[in-house]
Amino acid sequence: MYHALLFFHMIAAFLLAVTIVMYSAVALGATSSPRMLFVADRCWDVGGLGTLIFGIWLALNLEQYDFFDFWILLALALWFVATGLGQSVQRRMGGEDMAAVNAMHWIRTIVVIALLVTMVWKPGA
Amino acid sequence: MSALAAIRPDDWNIALFVHILGAMALVGSLALVLVALAGRDLRLGYRALLLGVLPSWIVMRGGAEWIAEKEKVNDLDPVPSWVDVGYSVSDPMLLLIIISTVCAGLAVRRQRQDGPLRGTALVMTVIMLVAAFVAVWAMSTKPT
Repeated sequence: MYHALLFFHMIAAFLLAVTIVMYSAVALGATSSPRMLFVADRCWDVGGLGTLIFGIWLALNLEQYDFFDFWILLALALWFVATGLGQSVQRRMGGEDMAAVNAMHWIRTIVVIALLVTMVWKPGA
Repeated sequence: MSALAAIRPDDWNIALFVHILGAMALVGSLALVLVALAGRDLRLGYRALLLGVLPSWIVMRGGAEWIAEKEKVNDLDPVPSWVDVGYSVSDPMLLLIIISTVCAGLAVRRQRQDGPLRGTALVMTVIMLVAAFVAVWAMSTKPT
């Protein structure tokens, strides 16, 4: 059960990476097509939901982890920050203030990397 | 068994982080290449292969070797099958990356939005994404 949950959790995390890479390309000057933004946004939606659901399931499935462990609470907080930034980027994409959209995207990227750091180092576990 | 799988020494973390970060960038870049080539944006596809896929493959593969050395999995007899799957997927992938980058580069140079060069790069990208999916499955489920 642990390995199956980890697999789906990882796949969801890789979908988040797809979004990060596609929006990074746009922020670096690539021409964004509606198809690319559609794929990136759907990967963000599915990946975000998947990491949350399978992440919590994993935490509850393993006896040595408690839902209220510091690293799990930190990961949840980072997840909510990343999700909020992601929703803002999706809403404001194509608007006039692209500098703000790009800034939000780069902050989101840092938050996602911080999430990965939290998952690997598990501070307080 | 699952509890054991979730525990690892702290000094493995940096190597694991580099490996996963490279793998995530690799899959993200491959998806970008796929969308770009499918949308006939050859220049973006070529740049994503050259500046995204190739460097992230190097980071992923370097991280893999680093964590394998720390875990000493290559010293085990027999070598675990999930390690074999990892090597069998990642090493040939470099060849596919080089071929698809050359094809995409030639297509950009000749300004051909259709034809065998774009088609070859597109098919190879799909194959690499499927291979990456298999590698993620092997790394996370660790079949014996």
